[in-house]
Amino acid sequence: MIRLTGILVAGFIFINLLSCQSDEEIKRQRYITEGIFLYKNNCANCHQNKGQGLAALYPPIAGSDYLKDKKSVICLIRYGQKGPIVVNGKPYNRPMPAQPQLSDLEIAEIVTYIYKEWAGETKITDVKAVTPILKECKQ
Amino acid sequence: MSKQKLTPALNRLASFWAKNKVWIIALSACGLLEACSGTSGDSLPILGQREAVTKVVNGKSVTDSVYQSIPDFSFVSQFGDTVTAKTLDDKIYVADFFFTNCPTICPKMKVQLKRVYEKFKDNPDVMLLSHTIDPAHDSVAVLKEFAQNLGVTGRQWLFVTGDREKIYDIGQNSYMVTAQADSTAPGGVVHSGAFILVDKAKHIRGIYDGTTEDGVDKLMSDMNRLLAEYKK
Repeated sequence: MIRLTGILVAGFIFINLLSCQSDEEIKRQRYITEGIFLYKNNCANCHQNKGQGLAALYPPIAGSDYLKDKKSVICLIRYGQKGPIVVNGKPYNRPMPAQPQLSDLEIAEIVTYIYKEWAGETKITDVKAVTPILKECKQ
Repeated sequence: MSKQKLTPALNRLASFWAKNKVWIIALSACGLLEACSGTSGDSLPILGQREAVTKVVNGKSVTDSVYQSIPDFSFVSQFGDTVTAKTLDDKIYVADFFFTNCPTICPKMKVQLKRVYEKFKDNPDVMLLSHTIDPAHDSVAVLKEFAQNLGVTGRQWLFVTGDREKIYDIGQNSYMVTAQADSTAPGGVVHSGAFILVDKAKHIRGIYDGTTEDGVDKLMSDMNRLLAEYKK
């Protein structure tokens, strides 16, 4: 009897763990699905569907060394950027327009998608982490 | 009596139909296709307004239809030299309207027009002509840098700037596209994503959606058809 209870408890814990993980995973998948849609509508015109960029006009996102600094990626999606930049050793100099219409959540979804797709990330970039970063870079 | 005679004939017809159904359908389909393409010939239509003009030739009055054509113009290319209608004499060309700071459909159009450029590269009968609709920003130097960054060299693809009113006028009235300033649109200018195919007589032979791969595939196949017209 004790053994049976033990097995049941262990089973419960296991199931709980499993459902916890998949809750997180379900949320991430939802972020990614939205992220794909938002990327297509707000980013892909210049950076292209596969994130490859366009010649020397618009830098790639796929495999870009710019992805290392996630904070600045989050900030430049909202606020845009101007002036010359270097991506993977190549110079680019076209302004990226600010996207003030994107909410914090939408930026989190885009970031989750592009980091999963082009930086091999398996974790969500939660809106709870994005909001303080956006507040900080506004100043 | 007559019914008896008729029945075997009908039967024969029916069995002929059953045996050769596929061929009959195929043949009539061919006939239909032929008839359809026959009405327009092999050549692309000429688009735009046409006027009947009556002239006196050798003492007789002759009525002829005159098609809309691209009038002469004078713009400046990314190399700083003047481009006129004469620059495009004896060429078929694709015209479009864009601006370098455009965040919406222009990058898509440039990706697609680059495909056309790669496909017809070094073909002496083909040119591309991109007009900026934001000449205040898109100076010769800006256009030159843009062309270089896009990976375009040589004079086959010209990026032109010039008097704002004249660019908008030729866009709307001659190339039949819409281009107008709109402060609420991203980048401040709304415009169509059209590519316009112009023949050697400066007639418009097709207008295509320059933002989609399908539209531009159609443009490239029509360009080949148009080039074939001049080989006959």
